[in-house]
Amino acid sequence: MVVPRVSAGPDDAVRGGWASRSAVPLATAASAVAALALVASVDPNEPGHYPTCPFLALTGWFCPGCGSLRALHALAHGDVREALARNPLMVLTVPVLVVWWVGWLLRTVRAHPRRRVAPAWSIWALLVVVIAFGIVRNLPGGAFLAP
Amino acid sequence: MSQYPGQPDDPQRSSNGDQDPYASPSPQTHGGQPPQFSKPEPYGQPPAYGQPAPYGQPTPYGQAPVYGQQPVGTPPQNYLVWAILSTLFCCLPLGVVSIVFAAQVNSKWSAGDVAGAQDAAEKAKKFAMWSAIAAVAVIVLYVLLIVVIGVGRGLTSP
Repeated sequence: MVVPRVSAGPDDAVRGGWASRSAVPLATAASAVAALALVASVDPNEPGHYPTCPFLALTGWFCPGCGSLRALHALAHGDVREALARNPLMVLTVPVLVVWWVGWLLRTVRAHPRRRVAPAWSIWALLVVVIAFGIVRNLPGGAFLAP
Repeated sequence: MSQYPGQPDDPQRSSNGDQDPYASPSPQTHGGQPPQFSKPEPYGQPPAYGQPAPYGQPTPYGQAPVYGQQPVGTPPQNYLVWAILSTLFCCLPLGVVSIVFAAQVNSKWSAGDVAGAQDAAEKAKKFAMWSAIAAVAVIVLYVLLIVVIGVGRGLTSP
């Protein structure tokens, strides 16, 4: 008879095997791959396939994320040039997210909790870049950044 | 507006000696009296500054030496990934606020402000949840538009 496993708490996550410790990052990767497969197969260039960006629908302005789905779709099909044309910020974000995820996975595999934090200035810089990107792509001179 | 016009240490009284400061000004003191009536206002206040206890208790400032070095232990989650995903795929305002709180978590933690970092982490978590809820709401509304009203074809994809 199989004894049902009690829900894993924080202690279990540390004491258990690497597979149980790494379940969350692995599930996250599986979800991301599934989402990417969806965006790759259901073309966001076709109107009506996905909801319009709420910010664009309400204000008429492009937000920093507008074009993300089309950029991901292009990336999934290996078209980096098209992806950069739709949303360069998205294209730059993907490798950062992948590196973060690898670090997360390694921490869970080695059972080493996070000790260091990213310098706060880097997050403030990210905020400035996001806002500046969102403004410039709406300006006449920044049309090359528009989705 | 003097709160303590009649208290014993009122400088107005001591400076006037036995003279009644509230008596109508006599011809001899006519030039000097009006300023004396206005002076008690600032002179009556200072005792209030000496009473509040917080000024004499340095306890809130006693922890200051702790600040400046990163605490030992696991830093609180700053939910920055949620903030970025929210900014790029869902809701710009919520995402921007989430990024601000994520930055606050890291800056306060690095400065040794554990309580402040945990407080910012709570807010970051809250906004990550709101972003997720908003994303679901947008999708549900969109499906409703398509299914119920049938105007989905008129909308362009982001």
